[in-house]
Amino acid sequence: MAQDSGDPSAINKWFDKAKPTYRCVVDPTHEISSLFGWVNVPSAAWIDEDGQIVRSNEGVYPSEVSIGFGLGKVRAGDDSFADATRDWIERGAESEHVWSSRELAEQLKPVDDDKLLAEATFKLALHFEAAGDSERALKHFAAAQDLAPDNWNYMRQGWTHKGAVYASWKILKRTADLRKNTDKSFYDPTGLPGENYRRFTETEWLWTPAVQRVKQLFRG
Amino acid sequence: MIILSNGKTNEVAARTDDTETLWVRLGELPKATGWQMKPQGACLGDLCVPVPEHKREEWIADAEDWVWFNYSEFADLLGQKYVRDGDVWSLGSIPEVRRMGLESAVAPDFELTDRNGDVLKLSDFRGRKVVLFSWSSW
Repeated sequence: MAQDSGDPSAINKWFDKAKPTYRCVVDPTHEISSLFGWVNVPSAAWIDEDGQIVRSNEGVYPSEVSIGFGLGKVRAGDDSFADATRDWIERGAESEHVWSSRELAEQLKPVDDDKLLAEATFKLALHFEAAGDSERALKHFAAAQDLAPDNWNYMRQGWTHKGAVYASWKILKRTADLRKNTDKSFYDPTGLPGENYRRFTETEWLWTPAVQRVKQLFRG
Repeated sequence: MIILSNGKTNEVAARTDDTETLWVRLGELPKATGWQMKPQGACLGDLCVPVPEHKREEWIADAEDWVWFNYSEFADLLGQKYVRDGDVWSLGSIPEVRRMGLESAVAPDFELTDRNGDVLKLSDFRGRKVVLFSWSSW
């Protein structure tokens, strides 16, 4: 599911490149994230044959990836989610990665009034963005971000409205700040065996190799 | 006016004598909000909420040759958040619907189009395991 506002045809190049063997849908108004309580991408849910959610996590890349953001890049993902998914597909409810009812109750929590208002506000921002009313879109993106400061979807979609360079700078800056000032990552931990929890905060700035070379020259 | 609700953009008639309240014509209520007025109250699927007796005349009112429903006061009763800018109203999730979904852990159904324009519903996949995966270009 591609969570991209604007013209759905704009994301076709990614679909083409992935050569998917699975169904791909476009979700320009972030409906699935609203329904499943997701606040970042990629996120994923396992849904069993009876339509029950048996697991839901964020930060679940299918393998290790390197993601460029203009002036820098980050590494993300590992094999833990793909391995766990294969196990669930083979063993179903017997898989150790299926959440218990207690884990489900802990993870699928109700949201407070501010977050409910943030959701309505964010949808209003998306409407004005699609209508080409940038001023009102930015006003409501900012209000939604204030109401739900932990929601990366709101931040990243709003930053992207100001341009890809701005959005890239903001995401790299925030992940670098997370690494420096907190023990949190960009994503909540999945708790899956083999997960590299803080990987996404290991920002690699493009200028870092050049700075290191200059330092070596001075040392030499 | 425009009502944003459940991922849909609905253009509906507006009362011209009270633009500060979200009045919806009863006939447009299902399209605009998903709720339908029935003898037992306002209903959304299996969930029915009686209109309080003392509010009935206030919330269901004749004006400009139509019967209108005061949706903003109904939303306040539900705890449903909404925000307005000009003639656009955006409705948030309904807390009771969310609570019911969380308690049952049944995956909420949705309907979206794929890249070919074909409609895909999550409930069409009942009987099969589904890995639902989100990504974005940003």
